[in-house]
Amino acid sequence: MDRLDSELSENDLGDGLKAVGIDRPDSIGALQDAVRARSASGQAMFAQGGRTSLDYGGIPRCAGAIIDTRKLNRVIEYPAADMTITVETGMTLAAIAKVLDAENQRLEIDAPQADRATIGGVYATNSTGPRRYGSGRPRDQIIGVGFVTSDGNVVKGGGRVVKNVAGYDFPKLITGSMGTLGVISHVTVKVRPKPEASALMVFAYDDLNVVASDLAILNTSVTRPVAIELINGPALTRLGLPHSAWAIALIFDDNEASVAWQMQAIRSELAGKVVRDERDQASAPLQGALREFTAERIGPISFVANVPYSFVATLAMSVDSAVWAIQSHAGNGVVRAHALVDDLARLEADVVKLRDLTESVGGNMILSLCPTDRKASLKVWGNPRGDWAWSEKVKAALDPAALMNPGRFVGNI
Amino acid sequence: MSAPATTPAAAEPDFVQLLNDGLLAKFIEAVGEENVLWRRDELVVYECDGYVIAKNSPDVVIFPTTRDQLVATIKICHEAGVPFVPRGAGTSLAGGALSVGGGVMITLTRMKSILEINLRDRYAVVEPGVVNVWLTRALAGSGFHYAPDPSSQGACTLGGNVATNSGGPHTLKYGVTVNHVKGVELVLPDGSTLVTGGVVEDAPGYDLTGLIVGHEGTFGIVSRVIVNLARDPEAGRTFLGVFDSVDAATETVSGIIAAGIVPAALEMLDNLMIRAVEQAFGFGFPTEAGAVLIIEIDGLEAGLERESHAVAEIVRQNGGEVQKSIAWRTRKEPEYVAIWKSRKSAFGAIGRLSPTFCTQDGVVPRTKLPHILRFITATGEKYGLRIANVFHAGDGNIHPILLFDERDPDQVKQVLLASHEILEECVNVGGSVTGEHGIGVEKMEFMPKLFTPEDLSAMETIRNTFNPEGNCSPSKMLPMGGGCIEKKSPGHHASA
Repeated sequence: MDRLDSELSENDLGDGLKAVGIDRPDSIGALQDAVRARSASGQAMFAQGGRTSLDYGGIPRCAGAIIDTRKLNRVIEYPAADMTITVETGMTLAAIAKVLDAENQRLEIDAPQADRATIGGVYATNSTGPRRYGSGRPRDQIIGVGFVTSDGNVVKGGGRVVKNVAGYDFPKLITGSMGTLGVISHVTVKVRPKPEASALMVFAYDDLNVVASDLAILNTSVTRPVAIELINGPALTRLGLPHSAWAIALIFDDNEASVAWQMQAIRSELAGKVVRDERDQASAPLQGALREFTAERIGPISFVANVPYSFVATLAMSVDSAVWAIQSHAGNGVVRAHALVDDLARLEADVVKLRDLTESVGGNMILSLCPTDRKASLKVWGNPRGDWAWSEKVKAALDPAALMNPGRFVGNI
Repeated sequence: MSAPATTPAAAEPDFVQLLNDGLLAKFIEAVGEENVLWRRDELVVYECDGYVIAKNSPDVVIFPTTRDQLVATIKICHEAGVPFVPRGAGTSLAGGALSVGGGVMITLTRMKSILEINLRDRYAVVEPGVVNVWLTRALAGSGFHYAPDPSSQGACTLGGNVATNSGGPHTLKYGVTVNHVKGVELVLPDGSTLVTGGVVEDAPGYDLTGLIVGHEGTFGIVSRVIVNLARDPEAGRTFLGVFDSVDAATETVSGIIAAGIVPAALEMLDNLMIRAVEQAFGFGFPTEAGAVLIIEIDGLEAGLERESHAVAEIVRQNGGEVQKSIAWRTRKEPEYVAIWKSRKSAFGAIGRLSPTFCTQDGVVPRTKLPHILRFITATGEKYGLRIANVFHAGDGNIHPILLFDERDPDQVKQVLLASHEILEECVNVGGSVTGEHGIGVEKMEFMPKLFTPEDLSAMETIRNTFNPEGNCSPSKMLPMGGGCIEKKSPGHHASA
């Protein structure tokens, strides 16, 4: 993840592969035409937005064309008082934020690299940031979707109203589908008023056992943080925070009175030592740094583990802080780690060991960054799950010729 | 409007013959005689759900008590090639549990265990027949709750909630069922089992959990659900706003949302409803008011004061008056319980106004609420019908209740025409024909108005993937296959 766009050549498919052609549709109709034409010649299609996750997932199974969505960058409808917005797939999060800003609203998605990441890309990859603890995941915000299937048709699901149970929930199906069912053409998402106040607090720890008990306290805290981040020493250094073995960073969003009260109340609940305590604009740089660190590219491998909330500290305890920089969305059971060393044999051994541990508690571990030549042996999507056979059937139903992003996703998708 | 054919779909020619030829014995062997109903008089209860217009009795009703029994039952159906339909408590308002064409009905109410509650990892594992409110009760005092709270929560089952992606008054802030389901176990129409999701938040692969929630029984039968548990709010304020007119109340709804306030609930009752509820429960609603709003905000006590003032100010700006203000720390306080009992039981009270009624379930963008309410009033006048309104205003989810006498064929016809026009107008202004009740058999004809042939074809492809022979919940949700007949009269009972 996180290669600069200038480091990429325009025909990069990821994993060192080159595209056989590029389409840059500037309307949904043009997108349909492009897909139809590629389909007719049997060419695979790889949708690209801001190209922030170009190497994410399995290796493309065959050569094919790039469908560059960045010219699909318009607002289709923004009824601010309804708290929804419908946009084309190629709009960046930053561009959407600017539109919403005029109405003092925001997206409830704090994915990194907002100036490059497109809304379509965020939905294809299910990209999330620290605030998912308070706001939910992208699937909780989406209420409508359109996607162009390999036959060139626009298929829609959901709609533009916040409550709607007509038809199957394609918006959920498309979220995190890695572009393998079709090219997303547009999405409708819920938006929310910007909070009046925001704060960030960082608590330092020497002992992970104390961290574990403070995480349990946060599960029933009198306060309501919107982000609970667990960070290890090497990650703290890179974030420019005072060194300690571990830290918990909390973000509070609400009105002025509530945020001020929470900042006081949490001090008496947690055992950690407060090392940062920032309000509003002053907290923005560190809030941004936490968000961007999720997409950091340090060593050759990064992983994302999903475990039960209570298991976060146990997993963290098993990760060698000399080898991995850890940032965990601890309230969500998500543990991200970026390799600090280049020793692939060591990293591979850790991946195998830690994956076994996560799977032993019903969790999973994917590799968000992995050298191309290790993707197969290290299984970027983890060990096969029982429901992958059904993912494959759904794929075959909607993309029978397997032309959409072949090779990128789980199983033989 | 149309309803499914009363002629058997896949079950003909002679299901009774099949039963006598050994099918019944197989069911009895699988689940025990005490869990099978087949005598005609015992089946009457199962001829419809809350959507009473379309009635058709199943030929046999099976009550599996365990997952293994459920699997065995479905396998027997699969081997015999007979249609089957799942049923929970039968509170569906769209005919989701109607046994179209007869055949087997599989009722899940005897699979009713809460299998696990894990507060630290914020989930519960339940069987499909667990009644929604049982989970609420099991969690009382724990500091956690299961958020979706349909008005029928005292009766409806969690399996049914998953099938229809149920909502309720508190979805405005907290989301609907799909936002609170972490994983399901689905028994497919061939008796095999699919487990999706789990106790962790993200899993590689498509979000099949999200796809299965709201499938209206067309993929198979959910045998187990992992639900998310949410923190209880620390405190709340529930206001009763009183207005001279429906217009003023709906403008207030728009005003609150536009002011950047996200209430936990925002419910409206119009004058007809107010009078019915007041007669039934005597909560203290002003019977002369044009409309009342139940406005609830929740969160941290420290932050509620300002929002309370803002809400009161918006009510006043629109010519209303805050007549009650209930400050609560738990949802068990008597005044709080009373106001929500009045709201959630509103449909029960409607019987005092009319012998028969038909409830609709449309959705409009929130800003179009004043328009759609005026449209409903005009439509009532046009057809000479009384229409009461009680609904989830904050979500734009309307529930007009059309009052009529089913013995008068002219009134029946007018009700059907009026319902149709109201739902069409919802579609015209960018909304939907169902916010929480589902398509079922009632609203299949509207699907082509909401979706293109391409959208519907993709949905059919997905259904056929899970349910290739079409034997599970035939003639539901998607308007292809299965005959339709002209609907002759609308439904009677409802809750929302």
